[in-house]
Amino acid sequence: MSSPLPLSRVRVQRIAESAVERARLSVVPRLDPHAPRVPFVTLVSLLLVAGVVGLLLFNTTMQQNAFANTALEKQARELSDRQQGLQMELDELRNPQRVAEKAQELGMVPSLNPAFINLSDGTILGNPVPAKAEDGIDVRPPEAKKPAELDPAPLVIKVPAQPEASADTDPASPDRDAAAGSNDSSSNDRGDRSSQ
Amino acid sequence: MFRLRFGFIIIAMVLSVFGARLVQLQGLDPNAYAAMAAAEGIVKVELPATRGAIVDRNGVELASSIDGMMIVGDPQMTRAHAAEIATRLADEVGVDYFTVLDRLRRQDTRFQYLARRVPATLATRVVRELTAEGYKGLSTRRDPMRDYPADDVAASLIGFIGEDEALAGFERTFDEQLSGVDGSTTYQVGAGNRIPLGENTTVNPVNGQDLVLTIDRDLQFYAQRVLAERVREVKGESGTVIVMDTRSGEILAAADYPTFDANDPLGSPKEDLGVRSASETYEPGSVQKVLTFASLIDAGKITPRTRLEVPESLRRNGHTVRDHWSHGDIRLTAAGALAKSSNIGTILAAEELGHEELYDYLSKFGLGQHTDLGIRGETRGVLPAPETWSAIRHATIAFGQGLSVNAFQMTAAINAIANDGVLVSPSLIQGKAVTDSGNEVGTDTTTRTRVVSEDAARQTAEMMELVTDAEDGIAKVTNIPGYRVAGKTGTAQRVGKDCGCYDGTFTVSFGGFAPADDARFTVYVMIQNPAKGYGGGSAAGPVFKKVMTHLLSKYAVPPTGTPDPALPVEW
Repeated sequence: MSSPLPLSRVRVQRIAESAVERARLSVVPRLDPHAPRVPFVTLVSLLLVAGVVGLLLFNTTMQQNAFANTALEKQARELSDRQQGLQMELDELRNPQRVAEKAQELGMVPSLNPAFINLSDGTILGNPVPAKAEDGIDVRPPEAKKPAELDPAPLVIKVPAQPEASADTDPASPDRDAAAGSNDSSSNDRGDRSSQ
Repeated sequence: MFRLRFGFIIIAMVLSVFGARLVQLQGLDPNAYAAMAAAEGIVKVELPATRGAIVDRNGVELASSIDGMMIVGDPQMTRAHAAEIATRLADEVGVDYFTVLDRLRRQDTRFQYLARRVPATLATRVVRELTAEGYKGLSTRRDPMRDYPADDVAASLIGFIGEDEALAGFERTFDEQLSGVDGSTTYQVGAGNRIPLGENTTVNPVNGQDLVLTIDRDLQFYAQRVLAERVREVKGESGTVIVMDTRSGEILAAADYPTFDANDPLGSPKEDLGVRSASETYEPGSVQKVLTFASLIDAGKITPRTRLEVPESLRRNGHTVRDHWSHGDIRLTAAGALAKSSNIGTILAAEELGHEELYDYLSKFGLGQHTDLGIRGETRGVLPAPETWSAIRHATIAFGQGLSVNAFQMTAAINAIANDGVLVSPSLIQGKAVTDSGNEVGTDTTTRTRVVSEDAARQTAEMMELVTDAEDGIAKVTNIPGYRVAGKTGTAQRVGKDCGCYDGTFTVSFGGFAPADDARFTVYVMIQNPAKGYGGGSAAGPVFKKVMTHLLSKYAVPPTGTPDPALPVEW
């Protein structure tokens, strides 16, 4: 596209040669050199300051929010821990074991004769019989049998009997005394069972 | 010109230094540098998924996850006041004083666990108080814990979890559903706070889903206590109670004794940690007669009034069979043979059916087949193939010896009589869940199969009512005034663990349902090796009655008010 340019220049020169000669000598009108610079500088500075301050404020707020966030999260965690603690307490209170023991303390026993009152006509369905004390069950949890390693057999040390005492002593009795002497009730149970 | 050239040289030198550094950073070991940059001020936090709870049919939690804390200590800082700190921790958190004292005084480390799995509120309070009193060097960390609020209630079914993994019961079988998927979050920190607009990626954890059981916690509790008391009274080895909703097949309670405390599984022997009722097989004994008579009536071989001449003893294949009471030649109806639990009467009636036919009926009742409850280690029991039956085998199987079952199978089989002859597969899970071996179990997969006709089931139930009769029944103790109760006792010779033969011990059981003419619940009780003199009615009967009365009043089942059928026992 560069080739047509010289042609056109030549053509312009040829068409308006005198006018171009004249125009070359004319003076360009000067712009006013005293245009006020202050408003422009002020505007730019203001924009700059506003930007920097804004950014600073924005960052500070974000940091503040982050602090608040951390604090609130901690609070939320503590509250949820507390809620769980209370829930556990509530579960403990609602535990059928505890309710049953309380009822037993009050002398309550389960009824073995279910009966119903029909509320619409007042008739009684079933045979209502007052519950007796012997209907009660032992609601305490059965004592867990311990695994062998936690429940070692009682150590039996056989003392050679004195000749005069040995005549009327049951040979099994030292063993049984040793079992009864140990403080563990489950080993007592086992002792009883093995003797049956 | 010289200045320009000099400037270019300086710029070229600086740029080549940059270039060399770039090659060093990016070319030689970019990953190590990237990791170093990432470690600077970036924190990665695991977001543990919350383990799903195991709840009973009413939504009461049987196993729940709670935010626990561990208390850790820096021995370098705690050594000076070890005794005071250990005293406080032993008092408040319940750890062993001497173990903790030892840890607080260790020389070679700056990190020691002092207490694990402590409820968060307790742990933070204790550490805060101790720190405020000037004992430095203690801190808390997250340590999720599993709590079993009802201790031993349904413990054998639920199981327990260890330090890192589920070890037993439903906790293990449905671990995938319960555990969920852990997530994590990565972010930049400055002075302990998250930097806003910093790098931040989060993968949210997927919490585990709850497992809903068909168990009723309060009923389960009651059944366990009643059973435990009775097993100890009759000096039995172990026992089982199973309560089944007749219509839906849902297991409302499945109690085993001895069992364990789910919060302290190590405090019990290993053999008590499983579900005895599913893993232990035994010979069912006379309760089985119910199935035999139902089959006979269904096949049209007998009616409850069929007359049987029962001799003193019976010889089959060189073996002599007698009844549990001595008698001469007596005349019993079929109903009487069941009501009095006559072995000879049962054999005489059962011989109307061929080996194959009896086998097919018992097999349809679910004997010798998995119940698909989702319990680990369930055994199928043994129902010998009919080709191997001899006359004596046929005879003993008819009255419940020579085959073995687990307690769930037996409950479901009796329940089929209660449920108008339709066997409902039992289930322990509401909805459905997938076991770790890929089986789908739960109430959604319940199957219903007709075993005997409605008429046969009704007539058998009427025969069973004679057993619980208040005046003449052999298990009077199971009579519930005002209600019609169907039941059957069982006293079976037991195969000993050591000799593989009948060792003179017994398995006693009682199975039944009420109200007999419109059954709602089936209760089955089994006690192993009670003291001499106890039979199915006397040992297991009281448990049946207590559990059944509790059920009837708890679920408000009124008496049906229909008259007893009063079938003849003798002729």
